[in-house]
Amino acid sequence: MKIGIYFCNCGSNIAEKISSAAVAEAASSFPDSPYVKIVDFICSEDGKLQFEGSLKSEQPDRVVVAACSPRDHESTFRRCLTNAGMNPYLMQMVNIREQIAWVTEDPADATEKAIAAIRGAVCRVRLQQPLEKKQLEVCPDALVIGAGPAGMKAALSLAEAGRAVVLVERTPFIGGLPVRFEDLFPAMECAPCMLEPLMGDLLHGDHVGNIELMTMAELIEVTGFYGNFIAKIRQKPRHVSLHECIGCGECVEACPATSMNEFNSNASERKAIDFAFTGVLPNAPYLMEEICIRSKGVECRACKDACPMGEDVVNLDELETIVERRIGSIILATGARLYDASRVVGMGMGTLPDVYDALQFERMLSSTGPTGGEIVTADGNTPSSVAIIHCVGSLDEDHKTYCSGICCQYAFKFNHLIAAKLPGVSITHYHRELVMPGKGAHTLLRHAVGNKNSHLERYGSIKDLAVTRDSNGRLQVSAKGNVTPADMVILCPAVVPADGAERLSALLDVSCDSFGFFQELHGRLDAAQSTLKGVYMAGACQEPMDIRSAMLEGMASVGHTLAGLQPGRMIEVEPSTAEVDETRCAGCRLCISVCPYHAITFDSEHNASHINAVLCRGCGTCVTACPAGAITGHHFTNEQIMAEIEGVLQ
Amino acid sequence: MTAVEKFEPKIIGFLCNWCSYAGADKAGGMQLSYPPNVQVIRVMCSGRVDPQFVLSAFEKGADGVIILACHPGDCHYKEGNCRALQRHSMLSLMLEPLGVEKERCRLDYVSAGEGEKFNRIICEMVESVRALGPLLVAP
Repeated sequence: MKIGIYFCNCGSNIAEKISSAAVAEAASSFPDSPYVKIVDFICSEDGKLQFEGSLKSEQPDRVVVAACSPRDHESTFRRCLTNAGMNPYLMQMVNIREQIAWVTEDPADATEKAIAAIRGAVCRVRLQQPLEKKQLEVCPDALVIGAGPAGMKAALSLAEAGRAVVLVERTPFIGGLPVRFEDLFPAMECAPCMLEPLMGDLLHGDHVGNIELMTMAELIEVTGFYGNFIAKIRQKPRHVSLHECIGCGECVEACPATSMNEFNSNASERKAIDFAFTGVLPNAPYLMEEICIRSKGVECRACKDACPMGEDVVNLDELETIVERRIGSIILATGARLYDASRVVGMGMGTLPDVYDALQFERMLSSTGPTGGEIVTADGNTPSSVAIIHCVGSLDEDHKTYCSGICCQYAFKFNHLIAAKLPGVSITHYHRELVMPGKGAHTLLRHAVGNKNSHLERYGSIKDLAVTRDSNGRLQVSAKGNVTPADMVILCPAVVPADGAERLSALLDVSCDSFGFFQELHGRLDAAQSTLKGVYMAGACQEPMDIRSAMLEGMASVGHTLAGLQPGRMIEVEPSTAEVDETRCAGCRLCISVCPYHAITFDSEHNASHINAVLCRGCGTCVTACPAGAITGHHFTNEQIMAEIEGVLQ
Repeated sequence: MTAVEKFEPKIIGFLCNWCSYAGADKAGGMQLSYPPNVQVIRVMCSGRVDPQFVLSAFEKGADGVIILACHPGDCHYKEGNCRALQRHSMLSLMLEPLGVEKERCRLDYVSAGEGEKFNRIICEMVESVRALGPLLVAP
């Protein structure tokens, strides 16, 4: 075996401390090292040409480059090997600049240390093997879960880029939480007006051919891995054909069964067949089987008979179906909900009338809501005083320790809207902290502060507050004994992950943080990537955020999808990953428990672990954990590392 | 005493690619000198450091071994440094009965930005192994 050693002087950076002549002399005694070439700047254009030319003429079997840190130029020199017709993994770098020349005072010490390090590299590189990047065909299409702002933005942008998108939404409508609001902070923009063009594009836009929207659907199983997932989706029966229904509502009129409407915070009634709320998109009702009198054995087809579009629009016998879709990546955009404020003692939620959480109040403010947008108490009166309690369950050791970030802003939006609808009404904000970041939010705070009927009261702990009724039955808020009457109390609960996030986390094997939000791969570097390769996240399923941030995150997840998977382009799989020798695997599965990337599965047929090279990132933890020594960490094998240890210690 | 003062320990340092190796490069960039006694073996993750490597280093003549990992919670591979910590605890228990003082095998954390900390740890390690003297018992 012929090993070529290339020694870079790096101008005077290395040459000043390490004697190349001494290295060359010492190297003459190393095994299989017939030559040492001294180069002045091997990373320069001239240096690289010299290096490549030498590789071509000398034709070494292995190469050692003693120069700067491999973190600087390992990939540069690997490319030189490739250009010279060699396998790039047959090179080992020795960091004689950052870790020897620059940090060792005495040149004799530095030279001696460099010689030992180069000897280690020579011993190691002899055992290095040529490795090839594997190529894998991939599906460039995506699954987006959740049709709120983040999910809609992601789906539309992917469709615009020509990707097929399956958009799965659990509810019967699109638009997420904000489509149920009337006005949005900070500029009091009309929410449905803002979202309508986006929703219109999603349903009827230029790229609709690329979008398969499935409402009333949920993901139930995912197999495969990045680039090659198979998703199973449960499509619940809507009993109304989205393609044929014109949204006239004749069936709703005819329906004899009623119940409370969950999408109006159970503050209004709905029919068994009905719209989720007025103005909903897709503009079609859905039938709730559990309310329909047919579920009680009554033969009724009033809705079907009332439909002016014919027999096929309402299908009373529609059954749930399971569909399978092949996709390459998954975007989680499942959003958030409000923390159950009844769990915060003393707030009166669920026990006292006229105590509402923020979502219930949003619906009250909405012209499509249960009161048509009028602010009225349960007995139909106009309130003369309103209390808004911030930080209910947020910044609270007993509930959620984080700040939910958006509540102060919508609380001051409420202030603005209440003051506009009911001039003269007294509004008291009870807040623990005030968080109004960004360039737009402060205007709402300024309006509230400038309103002579608005008051801000800071409290230390939510335990200092109590919502009760006085002897006349009127609501009141006491803050450390200071009692203020309030005809209506609005609570701003913590923002928590939507129901089902935990189920999805288990189903996909992506991690959640201690609060149940999906965990980022890295909080700053890779904040839109989940812990599983090819699964991205966008919006409030990751942490509380406003619509603007959710939309931006939707685009961020699209960026990952488009960059990672391209039609017709194979993905390259790094070869420095781990591999199991099935004949030596004892089947203990220890490797599976230590792998941080869920890259290892157990093949019961062969009674051996199997490592998916696409998911493996080459950390080598499993290699070390394997008690049978059945796992090889390519490019970092036990033999290579041991040889290096022995080489430097000789 | 003169013999001990002249003793230059050989130390093997296992550094993870993403944090501690980068921290060592940082120390280089800052031109912070330290004794030349530590030979660095680069691994992708401290979770790759096999107790066998440590034992083998002692067997082949090392007087000390230092494993430098990413700070807890900062591991590039999420939790490889936790595995390194577990294995180091196990090693510490194993080494003493073999006649190797546990101070000869140290684990610490260095981030990519901590050039000064890297320098300090290397100086401390060299001093502490120098004080222990040569490793006489081969495990």
